[in-house]
Amino acid sequence: MKRSWRQASALYGGLAALALIIGLPFWWVVTGSIKLPREIIQREPTMIPHSFTLQHFEKLLQASDFPVYLLNSVIVAVFSTAFTVLLALPAAYAFFRMEFPGRNTLYRTILLAYAFPGVVVLIPLYGLFAKVGLIDSPVALVIVNVALALPFSIWMMRSFLATVPREIEEAAVVDGAPTTTILLRILMPLIAPGIASVAIFAFISSWTEYLFASVLIVSDARRTIPVGFAGIIGQYQIDWGLLLAGATAAIVPVVALFAFIGRWFVSGLTEGAVK
Amino acid sequence: MAGLSLKSVKKRFGETEVIRGVDLDVRDGEFVVFVGPSGCGKSTLLRMIAGLETTTSGSIEIGGRDVTGEDPAKRGIAMVFQTYALYPHMTVATNMGFPLEMAKRPKDEIDRKVRDAAKILHLEQYLERKPRELSGGQRQRVAIGRAIVRQPGVFLFDEPLSNLDAELRVQMRIEIAKLHQDLGTTMIYVTHDQVEAMTLADKIVVLRAGRIEQVGAPLELYENPDNAFVAGFIGSPRMNFVPATVKSAQGNVAVVTAPKVGLSEVAVTTRGTPPAPGSDVSIGIRPEHFVPAEGAAAVLSGKITIVERLGGVAYAHAQIEDGNTITVESRDAREFTAGATTRFGIDPKRAFLFDKDGRRA
Amino acid sequence: MKNTTLAFLFVSPALLFLLAVLGWPLVQAVILSFQDVGVIGSEGHFIGLDNYAAVLGGGGFWYAFGRSIVWVLGNAIVQTALALATALILNQKFPGVKIARTWVILTWIVPTVVVVIIWRWLLSTSGGMINPLLVQAGIVERPVGFFSGRDSAMASLVLINSWRWFPFTALMMLAGLTRIPGDLYEAARIDGAGTWQRFKRITWPLLQPTLMVLGVVGTLLSFNVFDVIWLLTAGGPSGGTQTLPVLIYETAFKGYRLSEAATISVLTSILLMGFAFLTTRAMTATEASR
Repeated sequence: MKRSWRQASALYGGLAALALIIGLPFWWVVTGSIKLPREIIQREPTMIPHSFTLQHFEKLLQASDFPVYLLNSVIVAVFSTAFTVLLALPAAYAFFRMEFPGRNTLYRTILLAYAFPGVVVLIPLYGLFAKVGLIDSPVALVIVNVALALPFSIWMMRSFLATVPREIEEAAVVDGAPTTTILLRILMPLIAPGIASVAIFAFISSWTEYLFASVLIVSDARRTIPVGFAGIIGQYQIDWGLLLAGATAAIVPVVALFAFIGRWFVSGLTEGAVK
Repeated sequence: MAGLSLKSVKKRFGETEVIRGVDLDVRDGEFVVFVGPSGCGKSTLLRMIAGLETTTSGSIEIGGRDVTGEDPAKRGIAMVFQTYALYPHMTVATNMGFPLEMAKRPKDEIDRKVRDAAKILHLEQYLERKPRELSGGQRQRVAIGRAIVRQPGVFLFDEPLSNLDAELRVQMRIEIAKLHQDLGTTMIYVTHDQVEAMTLADKIVVLRAGRIEQVGAPLELYENPDNAFVAGFIGSPRMNFVPATVKSAQGNVAVVTAPKVGLSEVAVTTRGTPPAPGSDVSIGIRPEHFVPAEGAAAVLSGKITIVERLGGVAYAHAQIEDGNTITVESRDAREFTAGATTRFGIDPKRAFLFDKDGRRA
Repeated sequence: MKNTTLAFLFVSPALLFLLAVLGWPLVQAVILSFQDVGVIGSEGHFIGLDNYAAVLGGGGFWYAFGRSIVWVLGNAIVQTALALATALILNQKFPGVKIARTWVILTWIVPTVVVVIIWRWLLSTSGGMINPLLVQAGIVERPVGFFSGRDSAMASLVLINSWRWFPFTALMMLAGLTRIPGDLYEAARIDGAGTWQRFKRITWPLLQPTLMVLGVVGTLLSFNVFDVIWLLTAGGPSGGTQTLPVLIYETAFKGYRLSEAATISVLTSILLMGFAFLTTRAMTATEASR
């Protein structure tokens, strides 16, 4: 299919605009993090850094608990992801294929979870965690993150299961495979991209979660990146270099992760969704 | 190996009854084909035999054992699906060995049986490939191989050839026929293609709207259909039906007329007592049973609208005087001319008579 | 039947978990809304509908409700426009389309707090990037205080939140677009339909179901956005960006009026559920009429 020059210019113009809208802010932040303080705040901003320094990153390591925040975030996100997938897969399969009373009602009720502002559950949950001594514990964050990611994960997983032809499952039934074997040996390998997508979704929602982490975690040493940084922003005098270095350092891990598995996530999202 | 017996089997989905009481006996080693138009329930019936659909009422016996509520895996059946249903992430060998693995057979036994089946199906050099690296015909063979290794009492085929192209379909049809000869196992085969039914079956079961219309050997159905539906469904192109009226009846011969299309006094032999004079009937004439007009006992005339020349034979679609269209076959591809009004001779001995409810008279 | 037991075995871990972490607190929130609890942990007494009367009678709730409507509408318009354009672009064939489809979502995978840092800096009045560029280009004389006016703060927040979310929405739309069979477009081309007509007569109508679902889900999601607003403006200046979630948070954790916050929460939830219920019913109705 050949494009007319008008179509081509619309397409590439649109792409360029898209790249600018998304990429430029990141470019500015990442390059800003290696500029000298005076270049950061000078009146004529520079697209390409004229100066180079790692002083902001050094300060980030010394003055803040960044490595600790990073470690906390990774631990919370990894556990949240694991539990989300573990809970979502069997539930999604049951909602998708198995018959039990109240199936459809329950499925819809689960999705209703997103109709409530997170703050609504935060208040009573705080009380509950306080009673069982989970305030200031990463366990509390894992519990909350799993609960927040679970409904969407079940929905996503279910639409991935729907992409597997029914006859393959039936062949396995005829071949004598029990339900758990069908799930583990037939369906799981077939929807591996879907499981990866769900895992990435769970990881990212945990990685970016701020509200609960800000209330349920009290001590600085237990903070995750979002809360830890929010603390720095809140400081009286804003040190832009430090913040830009922090932002850069917080972008890098997810970008690195995404470079490996991002394609799974996006193709999974576009192929499995809205089914 | 096992025979099969269905006793007043019914299936209901909510309010709609899709299988409305089917009784059928299949002898051990028989090749039985279920045919019928789409939605007739043939696939549902097969899936009920497989155990993939529950049976609402009635009973299913395989090899003399009641399996109505039994798990599919424990019925002693194997099934080949329309889309092959191979496990995409497993090799051909793993696919074929999967049912044995599920039955917890020892590994060397699985290997041996998979190799034996692969030999029969000429799949030896593909055992380590994944299904996506195979052609349609090869995938079909793997699916059959997966069925063979279980050594089932009954093979079930659900429209297995409909995803193949025309040439492969003919080839695989012959291979399945050979397989049946070699194994001698009972096979039940669902198709909507009456050519497959005619060529493969020992016994054809014609289904319509969840009921059996007729059961019989292929030629029996062709030569002696019980009703207009079976007569129309078996044979290609379809049988022509010409509305007519009984003028007189004697013994098992009815004399019918159809003045609208210029037929007067055609004597058709009936199965039993012919319908009473004055009743509405239809005459069934297969396209291949028309005869030259000269010297024919009766003649239909019509204007040829379309001629299809297949090389060996030609089909004329002609509009007769009551406005209906009939199809006429000729061995002489140059006999028909589009646009010409032509006379077609009828051989009353090869004509069928059906009463107004479509029952064979 | 055995299968039913297994099914319950499969769903119950997830269900019980959600029930404990989301369901139970919701019930607690309702109970709390009928009491007079102040600081977290303190004892409360049943006071009936007093909280509801106070909240519905006072101006704070209605004001925040209004800001929430502005917030949701603004996000819906900006995000839909940006996302649709992006989805249409990503649905084309061009070299590197896979890379573009993957990395377009970059804004969504970084923590909100990073988004906040990025835009606070870019839009800052001292230094930053946008202001100096605007001044240089002569569009404004002095740096603009994007967060200093009520409406400009709201507009800036809407744009920032849309910037974060539109790629995600775009990918969901792309999912809908890829489901439109390509031969429909080819048929339309043969029938003589131009680019715009193909969009209007094929893409747009066939994308409707996707857009409707996204409309409902997107509305709920953006209604409940809290962190971006809180971290950038904390509801200010002078309440200009105080949407309902911000109001709830402030009432509970800054004002120490827990029961009142719970009351606002319950009212908000009722609003959102009503919205979800009505729209999904309208959706099934239009689907049925097709």
